[in-house]
Amino acid sequence: MLYQDTVESEVLVHKPWFIAAMFAVVLAVFLMVNLTGTTFGELMRPVIGAPMQSGIYGRVAIAFVIAVMFCVNIVLIGFAPLKAQIGIVWIELLALFFSFFKAFNLSMPFIWENLPYLITQGVVTTIYVSAVSLICASLIAIIAAIAKLSSNGFAYAIANFYTSFFRGLPLLMQIYLIYLGLPQLGIVIDAVPSGILALSLCVGAYMTEIFRAGIQSIDRGQWEASRSMGFGFGLTMRRIILPQALPVIIPPMGNTFISMLKDSSLVSVLGVWELTFLARTLGQPTFHHMEMLITASLIYWIMSACLEVGQSRLERHFGRSKVR
Amino acid sequence: MIKRLGTAAFAASFAIAAWTGAATAGEVLDRVQRTKTLTVAVGTDWGAGSHLDESHEFVGYDVTIAKQIAASLGVEVKFVTPSWDLIAAGNWDGRWDVAMGQMTPTKERAEKLDFPATYIWGPTSAVIHKDSKATKPSDLEGKVVGVTSGVTGEAYANHNLAPAWLNADPITYQFKPGKVKTYGTSNVAFDDLRLGDGVRLDAVIADTSIALDAIKAGYPLRVLEPALFNSPGDIAIQRGDKEFSDKIAAAVKQMKDDGTLSRLSMKWYGVDYSKEQ
Repeated sequence: MLYQDTVESEVLVHKPWFIAAMFAVVLAVFLMVNLTGTTFGELMRPVIGAPMQSGIYGRVAIAFVIAVMFCVNIVLIGFAPLKAQIGIVWIELLALFFSFFKAFNLSMPFIWENLPYLITQGVVTTIYVSAVSLICASLIAIIAAIAKLSSNGFAYAIANFYTSFFRGLPLLMQIYLIYLGLPQLGIVIDAVPSGILALSLCVGAYMTEIFRAGIQSIDRGQWEASRSMGFGFGLTMRRIILPQALPVIIPPMGNTFISMLKDSSLVSVLGVWELTFLARTLGQPTFHHMEMLITASLIYWIMSACLEVGQSRLERHFGRSKVR
Repeated sequence: MIKRLGTAAFAASFAIAAWTGAATAGEVLDRVQRTKTLTVAVGTDWGAGSHLDESHEFVGYDVTIAKQIAASLGVEVKFVTPSWDLIAAGNWDGRWDVAMGQMTPTKERAEKLDFPATYIWGPTSAVIHKDSKATKPSDLEGKVVGVTSGVTGEAYANHNLAPAWLNADPITYQFKPGKVKTYGTSNVAFDDLRLGDGVRLDAVIADTSIALDAIKAGYPLRVLEPALFNSPGDIAIQRGDKEFSDKIAAAVKQMKDDGTLSRLSMKWYGVDYSKEQ
């Protein structure tokens, strides 16, 4: 069930048919890939002899061992309490992920040498661009959402045109339009402000829809009740509507912020020295570009993880009424 | 070909559509002298021409020349790093005064930019995987060839390279690729080529100097002799400012005459590329 109750039921991963099915699937998948030439093949050397010469027997043996390991793993995890399950699976996935990167043979000294610069120049610029855009986008979104919900045809039309236009164009085109198009009108703005403007307008359009949907999710009875009590617009919003709308608004907002953090990488086409720009260019002269790209990816991931934590805190705060 | 009409052409269309992109006489020079800074467009990933050293300062052949030009004008130098598409599109709106990058003057580009001085003559070659059986460029007839978008190598692959430099020989095309794959940077093309002969690519058309750097960095590649063509690399400025153009031409001529260019080329490339080939 997708909600937690107190009914005790047998754990799915302990049902024999499920374990058998998982075993069959994993076995089939690993029979298809040849792992004899990898580290895992080396580990199996005592059983299958020289990995490269073991042929079909080696492949079957390796797939069998992996399938057994996988099934034992999920059965054991099934015994752990929920929190521990989540933790263990996370750590296992992370370990798999890093062993995958280890296969790239990356030059660690190069990464360590450039990491401080990636952070002091790249991350700082990325955070600066994203944070300023985030604030501007929120302001734009609040105004546009109110305009879209108002009965003023003029305001509605402007807001509707705005969201349609900026949601309908690829962000990269918007960045080019603002950087190259505005100078035709005599307004020459630098790369960083152009990027911030494009990001704010684009993300603002998405957030307008989030705010509008959040506000509209509140039953009209709430508006009617507060009006009958003599509340004005401001008081109704502050005391009645927003406290109920925020739990609806926050999850998609967190989503938008995370995707914006990564969309800020598009500003790199204008030559802004943010994380992606440096990641793309620092390793080029010495042909160490994979190192920089992977490092930058991990940095983006860490930054997004911080936002995820913030989002779940906020959700918990505003979702208090939903907890028993 | 289609890809080439992507961002570069998109960017360029702004330049042509609303404004010819021409600066009025003396405008750029005035700005440079007024602000006491020469803003130069360079790249952080242009190989020996312009890149960042260990302390993340700009170094390279182009960078040194830009600094010397600024010194001869008696102003400070400031570097910016717009993408190549934006540089080649023209219509800079005073965001930078000079673009390095060894731009080859072509007819298309000469409509938007002026080329006051040539400071490098470089060969462009076909690069192949070291297991490849090809021994001369014509062996690549009908093969899959990778190029960087918006550069002369791409124009060569598509047989539409129109040289606009002085005393240019007409280009003779030694092969017609079966398929041209376009990349954002030559490094990604080399990455595809290193996977093996014919896995994703049969050859890459690139600056010989960059190809030699890749080979030095351990890429299993080989440069096909002879080079496909030699082309000059110029300094580019916004079209129309004659005084500024003359000043830059004089500064580069000075460096050429006193042997500075040869010396710098030997230092950064190990070959003297400063003489016409």
